[in-house]
Amino acid sequence: MPLINFAAREINYKIVYYGCGLCGKTTNIQYIHKKVNPNARGKLVSIATEEERTLYFDFLPLTLGTVKGMKTRFHLYTVPGQSYYNASRRLVLQGVDGIVMVADSQITRLDENVESYLNLWDNLLDQGDDLTRLSFVIQLNKRDLTDIFSAEDLKELLNHTNSPVTEACALTGQGVFETLKTVCKQVIAKTGQAS
Amino acid sequence: MVRRRGLVINDRQMQLVDDILDKLRQVSGSRFIALVSTSGQPITTSSVEAHPDTLSLASLAASSFAATQQLAEVLHEREFTLLFHEGRESNLHVAQVTDQVLLVITFGRETQVGKVRLYTNRAVEVLRPVFDSNDGDDQTNLMIDDDYSLLADEAIDDLFADME
Ligand SMILES: Nc1nc2c(ncn2[C@@H]2O[C@H](COP(=O)(O)OP(=O)(O)OP(=O)(O)O)[C@@H](O)[C@H]2O)c(=O)[nH]1
Ligand SMILES: [Mg+2]
Repeated sequence: MPLINFAAREINYKIVYYGCGLCGKTTNIQYIHKKVNPNARGKLVSIATEEERTLYFDFLPLTLGTVKGMKTRFHLYTVPGQSYYNASRRLVLQGVDGIVMVADSQITRLDENVESYLNLWDNLLDQGDDLTRLSFVIQLNKRDLTDIFSAEDLKELLNHTNSPVTEACALTGQGVFETLKTVCKQVIAKTGQAS
Repeated sequence: MVRRRGLVINDRQMQLVDDILDKLRQVSGSRFIALVSTSGQPITTSSVEAHPDTLSLASLAASSFAATQQLAEVLHEREFTLLFHEGRESNLHVAQVTDQVLLVITFGRETQVGKVRLYTNRAVEVLRPVFDSNDGDDQTNLMIDDDYSLLADEAIDDLFADME
């Protein structure tokens, strides 16, 4: 459930981009930051290594505006995908409302995708969450490359939850907003259900 | 582990919190105090000057605190209850109020660490009970209804219209 501040008339949802190292999580956030209406976004905060690998997270707040008197925000986070950063991933997942699982479509990245997907389940279960109860969208990224899996194969591999799937090339921005829009809408719909 | 609860703050709680923070700021001589959620979202602030970027601040303070707690675990320390950053002009502290709420406070360099601890501990003690009772759920049902969902859905369409 999101943070609801009735006194300040604010409601904040947290959305986390998950996925293996180099799958394109940061690229998604950077594209959103570049293209979205500047009035709707805050500062992009990135905690990364010299080589621009995410060390802790990227953070971008988006304001939806005032909805029924409530200032509504989506806080977008990425996790560090490299497997040895799991402690940090668990911290970023705290209080999450919606998850985008970014999959690297390249055939060579099969094991990494599966490992990351299982790791997501583990981490959520450990914090008492369940993927089927959160908003969940799967983005098949890097569709521009050759030597990639078909969308069908990837769905069979990663979509046991029967969740929405989008196809993207985060580098050019194709599919990035479609993914974001899908997860935002799901998050909103789930809050409605909870009440 | 326990199932994550949402955090709901109502008018009564906010009034109490704002009063406590303002008082704390006056007695401690602090220039800036904020309450943020452990998941990195701002709840409220009390400050002398213009606010810093509170969204970034909340996110960074909460994650920095969370990282410190993990460090404690790795070092088999029971917990670090206070996170301390020393700056040239001011010191920043983050203290845990409840499992979902953190207190962020800056002090001038002249304030002794002992005093800082005293003030923050007292503040945490009076803040904690404010979040113990949660009577915000009725309000949630009232405000976050189908109408809200519908309007939010439209707002999302508007925000991302003409994208890609
Ligand atoms: N060809 C292609 N390259 C992409 C695409 N998306 C991202 N990349 C590239 O993949 C590399 C890694 O992208 P990042 O966004 O930094 O990956 P990440 O998931 O944040 O990685 P970590 O921070 O290590 O977890 C960069 O060189 C991107 O330019 C895509 O859709 N197509
Ligand atoms: Mg990254």
